[in-house]
Amino acid sequence: MKKMLQIAKHEFLATAGTRAFILGMLMTPVLIGLMIFVLPKVMQKGAPKVEGQVAIIDPTGQVTAGLRAYLQPEEMAKRKQEDLRKMQEAMPAPLRTGGASAGVTQAAIDEALKKALGEVPRLEVKPLESTVDLEAEKRPLAETLPKEMASRERLVLIVVHQDAVELAPGKNEFGSYDLFIRGKLDDRVVSEIGNGLRDAIIGARLRTSGLDRTKIDALTKVERVQSRTVTASGENATNQVLNMLMPAGMMGLLLMSVLLSGVYLMTTTVEEKGNRVMEVLLSAVSPMELMTGKIVGQLAIGLLMLVLYLALGLMALASFASLGMLDPWLIVYLFVFFLLAYASIGAFMAAIGSAVNEMRDAQGLMMPVTMMMMVPWVLWMPISRDPNSLLAVVLSFVPPVSNFVIMLRMSSQTPPPAWQALLAIVVGAAGAYASIWFAAKVFRVGLLMYGKPPSFGTLIKWVRAA
Amino acid sequence: MPPEGASPSSAALSTPAIALRGLTKTFGKTTAVRDLDLNVPAGALYGVIGPNGAGKTTIIRMILSILMPDRGSLSVLGHASALEAKDRIGYLPEERGLYKKMRVGAFLTYMAQLKGNDGADLPRRVHQWLERVGLAEVEKKRCDELSKGMQQKVQFVAALIHRPDLIILDEPFSGLDPVNQRLVRELVLDEHRRGATVLFSTHVMVHAEQLCDHVVMIHRGAKVLDDGIANIKARFDPRSLLFEPLDPAADVRVLASLPGVSELRRDGSSWELVLSPQADRSAVIRAVASTLTPCRLELRRPTLEDVFVNIVTADADDSEAAALRAAVRDSALTEGGVRS
Repeated sequence: MKKMLQIAKHEFLATAGTRAFILGMLMTPVLIGLMIFVLPKVMQKGAPKVEGQVAIIDPTGQVTAGLRAYLQPEEMAKRKQEDLRKMQEAMPAPLRTGGASAGVTQAAIDEALKKALGEVPRLEVKPLESTVDLEAEKRPLAETLPKEMASRERLVLIVVHQDAVELAPGKNEFGSYDLFIRGKLDDRVVSEIGNGLRDAIIGARLRTSGLDRTKIDALTKVERVQSRTVTASGENATNQVLNMLMPAGMMGLLLMSVLLSGVYLMTTTVEEKGNRVMEVLLSAVSPMELMTGKIVGQLAIGLLMLVLYLALGLMALASFASLGMLDPWLIVYLFVFFLLAYASIGAFMAAIGSAVNEMRDAQGLMMPVTMMMMVPWVLWMPISRDPNSLLAVVLSFVPPVSNFVIMLRMSSQTPPPAWQALLAIVVGAAGAYASIWFAAKVFRVGLLMYGKPPSFGTLIKWVRAA
Repeated sequence: MPPEGASPSSAALSTPAIALRGLTKTFGKTTAVRDLDLNVPAGALYGVIGPNGAGKTTIIRMILSILMPDRGSLSVLGHASALEAKDRIGYLPEERGLYKKMRVGAFLTYMAQLKGNDGADLPRRVHQWLERVGLAEVEKKRCDELSKGMQQKVQFVAALIHRPDLIILDEPFSGLDPVNQRLVRELVLDEHRRGATVLFSTHVMVHAEQLCDHVVMIHRGAKVLDDGIANIKARFDPRSLLFEPLDPAADVRVLASLPGVSELRRDGSSWELVLSPQADRSAVIRAVASTLTPCRLELRRPTLEDVFVNIVTADADDSEAAALRAAVRDSALTEGGVRS
């Protein structure tokens, strides 16, 4: 026991003490933080400042005014603010920025509008006669003017079809428009102009049809509201994002800690075999002590990762004021299923490590493990949507996948009954026992085997022989 | 474990350190070791010799319970399995290595701890051992920063640092330069003088001649000889003289007609005079010296190499014997076996 613990301690320190491990442990939360907090801000950043001319050939004479009104900087700024407001409403409170959150003052809104005004494109709509030479008018799109004349640079040429507003005789479909743009024009500006044209053409069509646009807009508008989830403990605003992320987060945490510690276990075993230090160790401890010590050492590594990332996750939940979403029993189950999954997969990884001489030889033998680990990811969405489907229930009792699937189900909005969780624990424990039994036999034989890397069939032969 | 410098007690001496009975191990269709009986008395210095592939490493691994025999029984330091006495055994495997990224001092400390030594004096002992092998300055260095020779010395220290009662060394001189071979030889003798039982394997028979007081020869998994060096030399005395004339142009063939000389044959730059069974060696030596002035005249000593080849080729023809002799010599040369 003492020697086993000494090996476990060595295994833990040899892994956790490396620069690569420490950096990896720190980098992952940093990257996750970047994805959560920085990326949305980068995505929200406005288009680069654009200035220039939007030329339009409008034979109907009814579209230009609407487009000009739509592309007014003040109107664009208002729309941008509205988009921002909708996006922020969908976000958890801590991620929202002051501009559009509920209860802000009018002064703050004006300030935000002013800021947005400085960011919107300055587009001058220039009507052209219907008789102009189209090819000649396209040429300015390819010309670059000096910086001081940038506002006169042609960015877009629009040709509205004759029948865009009124149906041509004998036709039952309206025409549209042709759009010619300058190279490298920001896609958001092109999209804004496209929206403007659509709005202007629809407005013109409604007018010519004698319809009241304001009334139609009001009739066709149904505001999408946020649902409220009613549970035994009360009623809360539904957080769809967290509802989806919670099961994936729990399962991801489990998968990541099991897989990483398993890979570390395999790597250190291959290294010890490759360094030829294995036989020295075997002169001091039995193969079982060695394997157990290594598994326990890497178990500690897995637990360290699990605890660290779980703590980060809990902090994130607390900052979203959503800590109440997490049932404390889920954390207990997380550790239980981690132990079972790690024992199953870690032991198998140790066996593979003992059987090969180099990491690249391990790739072929790793295939079944890799495939097993892929199953929960592939089935994450269908199981999350229907956690009590036949597939989900069956997979909850097929080790070692069962450990991940049951965790996914238990952290969903409709967790399985308690008996299924308990049965999954029993099945997981049986799987772990079988895996350790198999690994111990392979480990004993494989440790001193050098030369050609074994196939999976060879491992089975070793198990029979041991 | 006896105190430093002490000899094993008489009770310990009466129990063999290693006792093997009918040990057999097969790998598939190959029998690596067959029906091996062996007794290594406590405090002895035994050499297990034989060419590559003879089964020496398999025997050692079975003694250490790294491999389990298919048949037979064994006793190690009075236990039915070495697993029960691992802390009293020091082992240097043929395939040896280090944790490359670990510091030398930490590696030796870890190895000693795995052998049950984690007392307060462990750091001091690590330092003393490194000083003893001339590596005191590398204690804080990483193992992969050491030269190959230094690494081998560190591995050797790792096998001995816990002051074992039984030391098993598998090809301990493999890959060492002559200076380090000498150092290892001295360390082994020191440990033997301390009272430890030493069993080592080698395919370079000269090493066994230099070090052992008892030799076990293995050929194709079977024991072909198990005797003390002195007995072996007496039993396999070739009864011949090696002669080299002072005058290289001298006609040596005249020596063939001397009384007691049954055959004269060339042996490299020397001549070998094979004596008849009844010949008095001192009389023949006097006769040779008075016939031709020698620059070299000595009794030929049997080498373990000769003994081995004689035993395993007893029923073989000359060409087989010559081939085996060449193979044994080649392996000795490639391992830097130096007759000194």
